[in-house]
Amino acid sequence: MAKIIGIDLGTTNSEAAYIEAGKPVVIKSVEGQPYFPSVVAFTKTGEMLVGEAAKRQAVTNTEGTVQRIKRKMGTHEKVTLRGKTYTPQQISAFILQKIKKDAEDFLGEKITDAVITVPAYFNDDQRQATKDAGAIAGFNVKRIINEPTAAALAYGLDKEGDQKIAVYDFGGGTLDVTIMEVGGGVFEVLSTSGDTQLGGSDMDRALVDYIAEEFKKKHGVDLRKEPKTLQRVLEAAETAKIELSSTLQTDINLPYIYVVTGEPKHLEIKLTRAKLEEIISPIVQRSEKPCNQALHDAKLKPEEIDHVVLVGGVTRMQLVQKKVEEIFKQKPKREVDPMECVAVGAAIQAGVMSGDIDKDIVLLDVTPLTLSIETLGGVATPLIERNTTVPTKKSKVFSTAADNQTSVEINVLQGERPMAADNKSLGRFHLDGILPAPRGLPQIEVSFDIDVNGIMNVSAKDLGTGKEQSIHITGSTKLSDSEIERMRKEAKEHEEDDKKRKEKIEIRNTADSLMHSTEKALVELKDKFSSEDKENLEKALKELREALTGDDTDVIKAKTDALTQVFQKASTAIYQQAAQQYQQQSGQGQTQGESWQGQPSDDDTINADYKVKGEKKKKDTEDS
Amino acid sequence: MPTKKPSSTKKNTQETAHDALKKLEEENTRLQQELTEKNDKYLRTLADFQNYQKRMEKEHSTQKEETKKKYLLELLDLTELLKKAYEDPDPKPGLKLLLENIDKFLQKEGITYIDCKGKPFDYQLHNAVSTIEQSDCVDGTILDEIKKGYLVGEKLLRPAHVIVAKKKQ
Repeated sequence: MAKIIGIDLGTTNSEAAYIEAGKPVVIKSVEGQPYFPSVVAFTKTGEMLVGEAAKRQAVTNTEGTVQRIKRKMGTHEKVTLRGKTYTPQQISAFILQKIKKDAEDFLGEKITDAVITVPAYFNDDQRQATKDAGAIAGFNVKRIINEPTAAALAYGLDKEGDQKIAVYDFGGGTLDVTIMEVGGGVFEVLSTSGDTQLGGSDMDRALVDYIAEEFKKKHGVDLRKEPKTLQRVLEAAETAKIELSSTLQTDINLPYIYVVTGEPKHLEIKLTRAKLEEIISPIVQRSEKPCNQALHDAKLKPEEIDHVVLVGGVTRMQLVQKKVEEIFKQKPKREVDPMECVAVGAAIQAGVMSGDIDKDIVLLDVTPLTLSIETLGGVATPLIERNTTVPTKKSKVFSTAADNQTSVEINVLQGERPMAADNKSLGRFHLDGILPAPRGLPQIEVSFDIDVNGIMNVSAKDLGTGKEQSIHITGSTKLSDSEIERMRKEAKEHEEDDKKRKEKIEIRNTADSLMHSTEKALVELKDKFSSEDKENLEKALKELREALTGDDTDVIKAKTDALTQVFQKASTAIYQQAAQQYQQQSGQGQTQGESWQGQPSDDDTINADYKVKGEKKKKDTEDS
Repeated sequence: MPTKKPSSTKKNTQETAHDALKKLEEENTRLQQELTEKNDKYLRTLADFQNYQKRMEKEHSTQKEETKKKYLLELLDLTELLKKAYEDPDPKPGLKLLLENIDKFLQKEGITYIDCKGKPFDYQLHNAVSTIEQSDCVDGTILDEIKKGYLVGEKLLRPAHVIVAKKKQ
């Protein structure tokens, strides 16, 4: 079924959203903004502009631009632009058309259906006009819903049984308060109130006035008089307002704001949150009356309201939140972006209608904790990371840790800690019958396969012999929340210690594998090493072996490095010797160190590149 | 032998029915098995997709972090140098080089300044902050620039904030 988008057709800005994979996504305009200015214009040349472009040219083209058309919806008033008259429906349709086009660009598919929101106080004429605007724009308007209802839907309040909800919508230019009752998924508006002349722009103006007055006191110049300086002060006020919602004090610095008799002046003002609140407090205070009025009309006491929802950018300010809490005697909800809340709610309504929500949704479990196996030195090596959606299957190839090892133990672990012993063991089994071989050579593939019910099949397969062993583990995805929480907390608490311990083990493992390869080389190449090198190697080897019996990681590391160096020196000597011999034999003065050209060898053997993926082998190759 | 015929027919029909039933049963088992397999495959694909989404989200945020880091480092270098210039009793030559470096960086990133003074207003590049009425002017010409505008490549980074001339009627 085709997508239905949700549209918040606003007075100054409009927003749109849709449901993707069960989640609401806000649609961006072609200009890259998550909103569409509700502005329409016709230029001198007759070109129609909508949104950002229309807004940018508004002051140069007052006779050809129309803003805030929402306020005229449902009336018989007409707008004349460049000699042509339009109904409010037609103007709104231009805005909706722009949203439709940009949404189609954004989604990459044709959009025909929409859910559009209107204020709760809109009468039938106003609603019909909105529906008509949608139809003119080419939308099949599936439903007109109230803005506060959409906001409540964005919070999923329709699913919580019988509730009384207050929606406090404080936007750039208006305040709307709505009290609703919801039951069985149906919303009923109990009362609405508001102030059409109260908004965030009043706050900005008050703040600009304060900053400008402060500057005037000091330098005798009114920054509001010049558009250039007013613009900078406006922007600084906006930034300060946002900053003060998270900090207690901010500096407003505007260098070179004005030149007074040839001397540049800078604006420097410290603004505290307390001061800001003092400045805007009278404006916020004015929102109390409409709230009380709405409560009175709904015949409810503040205590009888179950949820208060915040809508509109102004509600991001702490002072506003405090005021709302004071009026309704409870903390308001503000988890959903208050600017996008209504569009998101409209999208949710649309999603329910199109089947993008609820219907046919397959809920898949996730693994609450990481699943690993124990490897050399008691390290937990993860196969399936935490938060992986199941069913899923992951495999990794491991090898043996000792020569002629004929059996490996698979210890299945659950938890976030890097060491096996600190995690929960879900089960263990042995895979026997591995052919005797040097360590690192056998390839054991370990697979974790979790089905949709969370039952995990762990298998280990010797890729050489084909021998396989497996176990079933139930409940790998079913853990109590408290257990998951405890294990995650533990992992976090021990993060530092665990890291050190793991490092320690890794140093030991590295030392161990270096010792092993040195011993092997000493046997295999005993005739090639010079007696001096051999002596040095044996000495360094002995020292490392001794260090390993102890517990001092620094010593082990130092001895490992020492042995590595001696080993490198010895092997270099062997290669140099070989090169010399080759030169003598071939009689050619080839320079040393020329790169391998890849000539095939005389016989037919193919030099297979034998790679073992497991942890152990990786370390071997890194060291040597 | 007429008596035998119906019995054999009956037997035949029975056999055919039996065969058909058996066939259907086999078919049913096969289909059920196929359905189980397909269902498992579907769920696994769905889970794979969800895991892919999670990975993409993670990658996206790391990428964002990386980009942020890149610009923050540039900004830090700049801050260090500005601090030095601030301590310098004769900062002009140093500041000149610093500005050149910044310009070079911006140029590398494809940033170009929108030159607008005296040009006709264009809503694609300019944002009109106010107008000034004049009797001797070309309507719609940009008189002053309040805030510089920039492009990144072909795209608008920020429109120039301008004051536009309005012809007195």
